[in-house]
Amino acid sequence: MTVFSRVAVLGFGTMGGGIAQVVAGSGRDVVVLETERHRLDAGFAAVRRFLDDGVSRGKTTEAERDAVLGRLTGTTDVADLATVDLVIEAVTERMDVKADLLGRVAEVVRDETVLATNTSALSVTDLAARVSGPERVAGLHFFNPAPVMAVVEVVRALQTDASVAADLVSFTEDLGKAPVEVKDRPGFLVNRLLMPYLNDVVREFDDDLASAEDIDVAIRLGLGHRLGPLELLDLIGIDVHTHATESAYEATLDPQYAPPPLLRQMVAAGYLGTKSGRGFRVGTTEEGHSR
Amino acid sequence: MTANTLTVAVLGAGTMGSGIAVTAARGGHRTIVRDVDDESVRRGLDNATSFLRKSASLGKLTEQQAEAAIANLSGTTELGDLAGADVVVEAVYEDLELKRELFGRLDDVVARDTLLHTNTSTLSVTAIASGSRYPDRVVGTHYCNPAQLMKLVEVAEGRHTSPEATKRSMAFLDSVGKTTVVTKDRPGFILNRFLIPWENNCIRALEAGAGTVESIDKAVVGALRHPMGPFTLLDVVGLDVHKAVAMRLYEQLREPRFAPPPLVDRMIAAGDLGRKTGRGFYTYDSTKSFGA
Repeated sequence: MTVFSRVAVLGFGTMGGGIAQVVAGSGRDVVVLETERHRLDAGFAAVRRFLDDGVSRGKTTEAERDAVLGRLTGTTDVADLATVDLVIEAVTERMDVKADLLGRVAEVVRDETVLATNTSALSVTDLAARVSGPERVAGLHFFNPAPVMAVVEVVRALQTDASVAADLVSFTEDLGKAPVEVKDRPGFLVNRLLMPYLNDVVREFDDDLASAEDIDVAIRLGLGHRLGPLELLDLIGIDVHTHATESAYEATLDPQYAPPPLLRQMVAAGYLGTKSGRGFRVGTTEEGHSR
Repeated sequence: MTANTLTVAVLGAGTMGSGIAVTAARGGHRTIVRDVDDESVRRGLDNATSFLRKSASLGKLTEQQAEAAIANLSGTTELGDLAGADVVVEAVYEDLELKRELFGRLDDVVARDTLLHTNTSTLSVTAIASGSRYPDRVVGTHYCNPAQLMKLVEVAEGRHTSPEATKRSMAFLDSVGKTTVVTKDRPGFILNRFLIPWENNCIRALEAGAGTVESIDKAVVGALRHPMGPFTLLDVVGLDVHKAVAMRLYEQLREPRFAPPPLVDRMIAAGDLGRKTGRGFYTYDSTKSFGA
């Protein structure tokens, strides 16, 4: 028996595109919802680029690429989601936007259709409370880039039905990912651990413990991490991390999650990391100062 | 070997000391290992020698290179035998008074311009340097375990370290193939400053039921692509070692995040120290530790 044979993905940004690609790669039909046609076009182009790159590096074949693309369709009309078994929401990290969209989707799909959110920063329980049939709402937290990362957090909200969580675990395994079942706590599991570490590094960097490059080199060589913490922050997006850690701080009042002042300053200055061309490492000299 | 051949003295023939001795000897320097008794010196030299022979058998070094490195090694129990040293690398037990006292005694043995390096991981370079009458020549050079394999050395100046001493120290580390990062004389330097609260948080997440030993390791390896999950790493490091490092940072920083969580004490009380006792967060068939 196939779990969730027809899947909708809401949002065709980096995460939505990666998730749609992974799900289509498992042989399922995927319909992606976006607000405008040009966003769908951009999403398809990004998935195609990722797959083309995989073909050129021998990770996948042209036939597989075409099969995955062939299983993806796009729409701007919520009504086109009526027949799906699972919805995976991956739109912007704002509670009002997510709740409004899932509410509209809930009116269209069947009562038993599972509604999963890929949020990393918001409470799944809060979101479930705003949707009709909260027991079918759960978190399905993919990591970026979704086609590469081996783990998916399956998040049980207070309201989540046990069978829904179990189906999502099977679904995740069927995607070839390792599911990790977690409670709906700020940061779930991975970000709960990652955020204080990154905040710690930002604070010490701001306090001149060492240069940005030397901090990254020390962590890469000393601990064998693929990326140092500051180059990782550039990739994640300094705004994304700041928002996530602010949310966790509001939810817990645990000072480990309080965003160090430098983060907010960098966001204010538009230094968002790789995507803006300027961050801790990107667009700076090796000392981490501006060029 | 284009770099000048130096005489390097290594104080302490334990795991770190013998690893540093291998590094220096392999880098072409005359290397004297000093410990307090013949048995310790012999064991340290044996470990260094067998590592170098194994490197040759694995093709990491030629037979000639290994034999040349072995020929560079000698041992002593006499501090007086270190008189000709250009660099002394202190890698004794992590005890401030012991380190200060050794540097004070070295003042009477070595030349005025001999560099004194401390491999401390958690103590203050400034405090250790205060044992010498010439703290300007004392530099923190923190190697990673196993020192003969890990390229990274954290370099930290004490309050009175001279820029000249740091510059010469960096040149020495470069000559033995190390990659240096420059950090401040602050508790834990870079690595332990960030690693200890990270690991404590992972232990606290486990205590709080946020996941199991297996699921947390799996999540960290799968989502963050760390080479080892936190509990696998803690078992390699040893729970007793983790506690000692964490307590020293906690005592200096006075921040609860650095204090080892209660589970660490319970595991130590039960004798579950990690790989070396066959049981920690996981159980092991063999107690052979990696690199041994």
